Amino acid sequence: MSGKPVDAMGALRRTADGATRTLAQAHRELSPFFVDALAVGLAWILVTYAVSWFAFGSEKAVYFLVPWWIVLVGSIETAVLWESFGVSLGHTLFRVRLLGASRRKPTTARSLVRVLTWHVSVFPLVGLVLRPSLHERLSGLSLQPFVAEPGAPKRWYRRSTGIYVAFLLVVIGAGAVGVTITVDNLVRLFTDAWRVAPIWKALVSPNLAILRESLSDLVVTIFMAIMATLFAAILAVPLSFFAARNLTRGVAGRLAYTILRGVMSIFRSIEPIVWAIVFLVWVTSEHASFAGLLALWVHSIADLTKLYAERLESIDEGLLEAITATGAGRLQVLRYGVVPQIVNPYISFTLYRFDINVRMATVVGLVGAGGIGQRLIAYLSGQRYPNAGTVMLLIVLAVWAIDYLSSRLRSKLN
Amino acid sequence: MPIDARTAGSTVLAGLARPAVRGLLKRRVLSFFLDWAIWGYVAFAVMYFLNHYWYTWIPGHWYDTLTLPAWGWPVTVLATLELAIVCRNSGWSLGMRAFGLRLVPMHGDRITLPRRVARVVLWHASVPLAFMGFWFSPEHPWHDRFAGVALRPTRRLRGAGAGLDDLPDDEGRPEKRVLLTQWGWMSLFLLVLTFWLGWLITEANLSALASRASKAGDLFRQIARPDFRYFLHEDPIFVLRRGTYSILDLMVLTLYMTLLSTVLGTAVAFPLSFLGARNIMGFNAVGLLIYTLVRGFFNVFRAIETLLWATVFAVWVGWGSPFAGILALTIHTVAALGKLFSEQVEGIDAGPVEAARASGASFLQVIRYAVIPQVMPAFWAFTLYRWDINVRMSTVIALVGAGGVGTLLFYYKNEGQWSIVGAVVIAIIAVVWIMDYLSGWLRERIIR
Repeated sequence: MSGKPVDAMGALRRTADGATRTLAQAHRELSPFFVDALAVGLAWILVTYAVSWFAFGSEKAVYFLVPWWIVLVGSIETAVLWESFGVSLGHTLFRVRLLGASRRKPTTARSLVRVLTWHVSVFPLVGLVLRPSLHERLSGLSLQPFVAEPGAPKRWYRRSTGIYVAFLLVVIGAGAVGVTITVDNLVRLFTDAWRVAPIWKALVSPNLAILRESLSDLVVTIFMAIMATLFAAILAVPLSFFAARNLTRGVAGRLAYTILRGVMSIFRSIEPIVWAIVFLVWVTSEHASFAGLLALWVHSIADLTKLYAERLESIDEGLLEAITATGAGRLQVLRYGVVPQIVNPYISFTLYRFDINVRMATVVGLVGAGGIGQRLIAYLSGQRYPNAGTVMLLIVLAVWAIDYLSSRLRSKLN
Repeated sequence: MPIDARTAGSTVLAGLARPAVRGLLKRRVLSFFLDWAIWGYVAFAVMYFLNHYWYTWIPGHWYDTLTLPAWGWPVTVLATLELAIVCRNSGWSLGMRAFGLRLVPMHGDRITLPRRVARVVLWHASVPLAFMGFWFSPEHPWHDRFAGVALRPTRRLRGAGAGLDDLPDDEGRPEKRVLLTQWGWMSLFLLVLTFWLGWLITEANLSALASRASKAGDLFRQIARPDFRYFLHEDPIFVLRRGTYSILDLMVLTLYMTLLSTVLGTAVAFPLSFLGARNIMGFNAVGLLIYTLVRGFFNVFRAIETLLWATVFAVWVGWGSPFAGILALTIHTVAALGKLFSEQVEGIDAGPVEAARASGASFLQVIRYAVIPQVMPAFWAFTLYRWDINVRMSTVIALVGAGGVGTLLFYYKNEGQWSIVGAVVIAIIAVVWIMDYLSGWLRERIIR
């Protein structure tokens, strides 16, 4: 046995640091490449689609003329060639350039070496583990930050004229595409305006016969939002401490941080309406408003945890150090250092989320998850447009009032 | 009559400036209505609990209706009013706390019970009789004056000058624990009440959640095993407006919808935003009129959700047509972006504008050379942010028939083909993520 104590944590930390730097290198190497490959692949697909549209007609337009893997390999190869022999789209976007030692321009031979060694280095991902990476070592070329030459003219996208021209082109292009998509509907915009007349009419003269039951549905909707926000806040407050980068130290903390952020990111990207569909199957439509509540709750937890954690990440560390220096325990630091800094933003975020939840509660109702949205969709599918208009008026008034109140309160808090 | 003469009788508020009086009065009224509304909410809860738990005892059809008999309404209104008044006189009520008001004694160091009772009684003479108590001294009405108390702001009033510091303060008194104050336990009570009421109203049912967990497990398993059968190839059975579509087809269509609506929306919102900015339009009556109209348009159209617009346009231009979606997204984009843009324009540095105007620039030249350079980065950031929102929104507006990839989602959901639903959801998540990342990254670069 050696006398030296085994520094397990130190070794772990060194490994983690190494892994972080390797990931950073992979990110630097691969991000422009992915952009390029994606651009080439998309261009290929678009060209194929357009050509086959005109050649075979819209019914038989295809995205791939050749097997998909040929397109994949082709885009990857084109991207590598593009990156090695010039300034690619990815380079421009990430503001890097492929340069040799002391920022010399790459020679053809070096670029060729880079293309060849890139395949050995990147595909098995072996070369990327090394720092600097294998193909970088062998070709002597590396991605270096782009520095504009002094006195060089601004790039087109940094000048206002360029931006305006690009904007105009996008407008024209998008307009053209839009018209081709929907030319038959464009006509109906002018000929079929009478169809929605009952809805507009109901906005000024609502059907009072359904007012009472609609109002009680509106109450359900608002309570769905209140309950979802409250329950989500109760859960998100403790979770946010494990999702803040500056408060999660050590291996266990890092692990919790990563898992929590990942799960929340996935939950957040699934719309409440999709959650509502799932929960409607789960708790059955007998408990429709409960399903809506759960859908809003899940989405709110994910959203609030992220908002809260981001606020925690930007707290003033100096204050914490000062309180720690007086000999305060962890809980005391939390109570007197962290809490005073976050109370108002937390309340403000919660109000903001409540505001969103009221809007969302009407929306999840449209898939049948209770509240006034369910009533609206029932009237719409029954083509009872005056009633639908009345319900819409109620929704708009409620959303407006709560939006106004919440923004007033939030501006008081800030 | 000058203000000094009116307040001559009041030793406390003699030096109060006029705007501060108005602020104090406004707070008094608003806090009163908040207290009243709180008791109204409690009454609603009681009514709901009666309906829910004891409906079999009560004759008639009260169950699950929020109705009262004809005599019940005035009784409820008056009872809640009295409760609010009693609360406002027996401690620091929630309404007074929320609006930063406090009842303080004018003589001695505490308000005695007889004074509190007197204030309750006097209130009924002072307020219901055409607000007579407020006629001659709005800041110190009869029921305050004769009971020997004053409503003192705990925070400095906006626009308040000297005078408020003359008020007797209670700094020396020990601070009570929050739950021992009236507003403290009232807040807790309301929170518990809300949870209880909400639990009943939303029909929350944990046993339904637990007992059907295995069903949900099956569902999640099917969704988690996505079936990309129709990702590239059209589903021959699903026909929308005489055409068949694959998931990718509609995804591309959806992206075009968002692109088109964002671009068109921005193109309309951009010029409108200058018309909706007070610092640009507010120089004469016509300008102010245009400003008010444009801002009103933004506010009204923003309050109508994209989904509601989509329902209207789906009825208008045809069910399942992407054009309906484009119109809905565009209109909401115009209103939402217009508001954000014009707030940005209102926040600009006035220096360049004045300089341009002084050098004889026209209205358009001022905007072009003094305003636009200042707001451009924020405009781009907002536009990208809006695009992000539009991408999210475009995937769900199909629910009401506004076209896009959501059409497939709801179609396969209704068919019960959950593994294909899984494929659609994954495709949507992927696109939303990519757009989120892209727009976030671009925004960062633009702001930098």
